Parts: sequence; structure tokens; C-alpha cells
Amino acid sequence: MNMRSEIPEANKLRGRTSRPPASGKKYKVRKIVRGIASGEALICPESFSFLGDVDLETGEIIAPSNPNKGKTLKGKILVFKESKGSSGGCVVLMTLVKKKVAPAALVTIKAPDYNLTEGAILSKIPFVSDLSPKFISQIPTGTYIRVDADKGIISYTPLRFASGTPE
Amino acid sequence: MKLTDSEKRMRNGAEGRVIAEAMDYIIQFGEAFNAPRLVDISYCHYPAEMGIYYGDIEDLVRYAKRGAKVCVPTTTSTLCADLEKPSITGIPAKLARLQAEVEPAHRSMGILETYTCTPQLLGFVPPFGSYIASVESSAIIYFNSVLGARTNRGGLFTRFSAVTGKYPLMGYLLPENRYGTHLFKVMIPPERLRTYDAWCALGFIIGKIVGSEVPVVQLPMTKSQTPILPRSDFMIGLGAALATSGSVTLFHIPSVTPEARTVKEAFKNGNVPKNAYEIREKDLDDVYQQVNNIEPGADIDFVTLGCPHYNLAQIEYVARKLEGRRVRKDIRFWICTNRMTRKQAEYSGYVRTIESAGAKVVADTCPVESHMRQSTCREYGLAVPNVRNMVTDSVKMVRYVKDLIGCNTALADTDRCIQSALKGRYDSLQRRKGH
Repeated sequence: MNMRSEIPEANKLRGRTSRPPASGKKYKVRKIVRGIASGEALICPESFSFLGDVDLETGEIIAPSNPNKGKTLKGKILVFKESKGSSGGCVVLMTLVKKKVAPAALVTIKAPDYNLTEGAILSKIPFVSDLSPKFISQIPTGTYIRVDADKGIISYTPLRFASGTPE
Repeated sequence: MKLTDSEKRMRNGAEGRVIAEAMDYIIQFGEAFNAPRLVDISYCHYPAEMGIYYGDIEDLVRYAKRGAKVCVPTTTSTLCADLEKPSITGIPAKLARLQAEVEPAHRSMGILETYTCTPQLLGFVPPFGSYIASVESSAIIYFNSVLGARTNRGGLFTRFSAVTGKYPLMGYLLPENRYGTHLFKVMIPPERLRTYDAWCALGFIIGKIVGSEVPVVQLPMTKSQTPILPRSDFMIGLGAALATSGSVTLFHIPSVTPEARTVKEAFKNGNVPKNAYEIREKDLDDVYQQVNNIEPGADIDFVTLGCPHYNLAQIEYVARKLEGRRVRKDIRFWICTNRMTRKQAEYSGYVRTIESAGAKVVADTCPVESHMRQSTCREYGLAVPNVRNMVTDSVKMVRYVKDLIGCNTALADTDRCIQSALKGRYDSLQRRKGH
């Protein structure tokens, strides 16, 4: 397994002979809303609209085109390409929080929109953007990941470490 | 982000917890988008809390009880009820009572109870270049484009701007983001652009192409080779449509809007795009084909005018057309406006004329924002859909009632809407005959 850091700057600093980080893979991201959260990743490779794609009562994804249709956002790290539809996201996110079915963190590849950012700040949901698109192809839904918005890092421990298998 | 000493004091609690919290939110918001600093705003158009959104009004009442006060003139956007005359919209009394709780809360915060999507009609016309914080896509685009004030598409954070008077310097507040991106040449004969719905259809075409960018719209010349100069209600209809099919926040019309006296001036460094989109009469016809799913002559049960809210002259026009006539039985015909304009229309006798004909002048709300939404009808045990076939002169109304109310729609000019209400069926003859 290639254990090199996904952080290009870090690789440059370390040089080619540097040791990989021991704790697992790391992805550099940009902080949008502060906070730290961990949970199962819910990977939505396409754009996501909070208004219309999710059931307000259950937090379940209802968009027929979404590969995760039927899964709930509750407690998940929602990873998506970008938010679609520029209004309504804020109110929907806050409603999900009131109903206790909100995601634990938001992660996007593209730049965030104002409306969803407002919702995340008010709901105190950590939110990061500028994630490498590679993440979506490398990390399957259900992987346990950790988002540290303050440090701008997403990390996860590959299964062989998590299960205690010696290196 | 760079903060002034007074901003730091506000954030650190020198003016109380409400201000400290609001400043923290606004600073976080600005930092998320790399805003270098905050600016002072001179006006807010605020999203009135709605009875149809879960917990919205309770949240406002709690906030007002904390002693929050706005520090800039702040108007409010639409509600789900006509609070002065709740029964005229057929809203469940319980929902109307819940909605009415916003008034004392807003008053205690110093927020003005305008409850309209067109605050510019009430004299809230921020000067050129001023920073403001606004919600309501049709008002935002008017403030930015027609008046040259500067605002982004605001959301709930408008509340924090209203209490602090601050907004991050970002997005459309920055001159470099206000240049045109696409050029549209309107090749439609000027006589076709004499009705409100035509401007809506024009905006609908352009918004679809331009998405969230900045269109520059070159209007056709009149026979005497002078540019056509649209009426203010046409500009409202155009802007509302641009923000419906796209999420346009700013447009320019050379020789009409203040930031683009010429086509060249609308683009950065005068770099006019080589390729312009040409909009022809056929494109306008296509919009009606796309959005209308009521056959000409078919029975209708609802006619809406006033999206965005009509001005006094538009109400006077409808009153004149309805004088001595009678709307077909069982047709609901709403002319939507703000409460101050309705007061004037009552004073001038227009409301009496309209009501005598069997139509209603509705304030504070409109079909899209009302209890007639499918989700609200279900919650309150009302028939779904509440409306079967609606005729309207607004493409924004068409677009949103389709999904939110679940009815069929037809876009028609204002005269045809009125005729449809009188006949009880969708009257589409004039457009075909005229052209």
C-alpha cells in the first residue's frame, strides 16, 4: 500500500525518502466551518441538493439518482462534489439538526455556497471544502473517517491498522 | 480577517451577548470565503419567519426575547398569511395565529412589518454603490442591477447583519465580481416587449443559459433608433425570471442600468465577448411551450397576478379592467401586493372595484408562500393539490407553484389572465391573433 501523504506540500517538504505518517491516510482540506467530527463516510460523487434530495423527517436520501438513496445522513460525514441549488440549504440543514438527523460533518470537493455555509455555522456542523477528487474513488461509503476542520485535515486509519494487524 | 477596534469590541461582548454572537457568526462566514474585512451596511431586507417552516417562528420569538435590536433600516419579506385579512386566502386559523406571532417580535426588534418581496416599491431604494444585506432573489437582483447597490444572495445571516450593521466584503460587494460574463442581443421586435409576461419570458431564457453568472442584455432599438427603456415593473419581472431559471444576482442593460452605460463598460477592461447569444421571437414562444401545460380553452380554478408583488399602478390597471365585470364563479383570482400599497388601493377605491368583481387583493403573501403548498396542505388536512389549473403573468409563479402546490400552469399576459378569470377558462387567443 502506498503510504505517502496525500498532502502535496507535505510530500515536498519531506522529500522522497521521508517516512509515511504512521496513523493512516491524510487528506488536506480547507476549513469552512470550525470543529472536529468523526463517523462513517457517505460518499455522493455528484452534486447534492439539501432542498429536495433529503427527507426532512428522517434525514434519508430520497433523490432517485443518488447511489446512497435510502441511507440516512444522521451522524454521517457527508462527502459530496458540490451543493446544487443555492437557496434552501440553510433552512433544511437546520431542520435536520432540530429533528436530530443531521450529518456530523460536511465535506465538498468544490467551493461551498453561501447558503449551506450559513446553515453549517448556525448548526455548528464542521464543514470543509477543496477535497481532492481522488478521495471519492479511493474511500468507499461506510469507511470511518475523521474531519478536523481547524487543522484542515481528513484522516482515516486503513483497515489493517484498525483491526490491529501488525505492520 | 482584519477587524477594526470597534468590531473587535463588538465580538468580545462589549455590546452584549446578542451582538457578540452575531459578530462571531459573520466573521466565521467571511473567513470561510476569505473576505479581507467587514463593511458597514446601510439597509437590510430580512427573511420574515414563516409559519410553514418547522420551528421558525419559535426561534424568532426566542431571539427577540433576548433583547435583539436591529441597527439599520430593516424591511421584511413575505409571510404565509395575509395578517390583516387572514380569511381571504383560506388559511387554517391555527396557522394564521402562529404566523401573527411574528409581528410583535419584529416590532420589538425594530424590524419594519413590510412583509413583501418588493420593498423597493415602498421607497427602500438604497443608493448606487451602497452595501446592503438582502434576501428574496427578485429584490436582490433589482437592488444590484437597477439601483447599483451591492448585495449577495442573503439567507438567515441577514439577521446578524441587521443587528450588527456588518457584512463580509466578498462576492458581489467587490467591483471585480460585478462585470458581465455573457452578452445577449435581444432581436425581438419592441412591440412584443410591451407586456409584463414577455419580460418574464425573456429573463427565463437568459437565466437558463447564464446560470449563476452576470448577463449583459442588449435591448432592441425602436424605429427611431433609440434604445427601448423598460418600465420599472418590467425590470422587476425580468429580474425575478433571471433568478428563477438561473440564480442570477446581477445583470446589466447598457443605457438602462447604472453600471453599464455602454456594452463595453459592462465587461472587464472593455473585453466584449466575441460570441453573443441572440434571442429571437421564436425563443420567447418556446418559453410558453415549455412552461404551459394547460390547453387553451381548458377550465381553470386560479388566476394569480402580483409575482413579485404588484405596485399601485398595476393594481389600478386590473381594477380598471374589472370594473363592472364579474369573475367566473369558483375561480380564485388573487392580485398580490404589500399591505401599504393595499391601503392606498383601498383609499383610491381600487380594492372595492376588484372585490365587487369577485377577485381579491391579497397582502403579505402569495400562492407560493401560502398554506397552499402541498406539504402544508397535508399537515393541516387540506385537499392536495389545493389548485388544479393556474393562469398567471409571472414565470416565477409558474415555476414554483408547479412543484410546491402541484398544479398545472399557464403563462399569459396580464389581459389574458384577467380574461381567463372572467371566462373561467384559459384564454390564450390574443397572443396568437396579435402575432
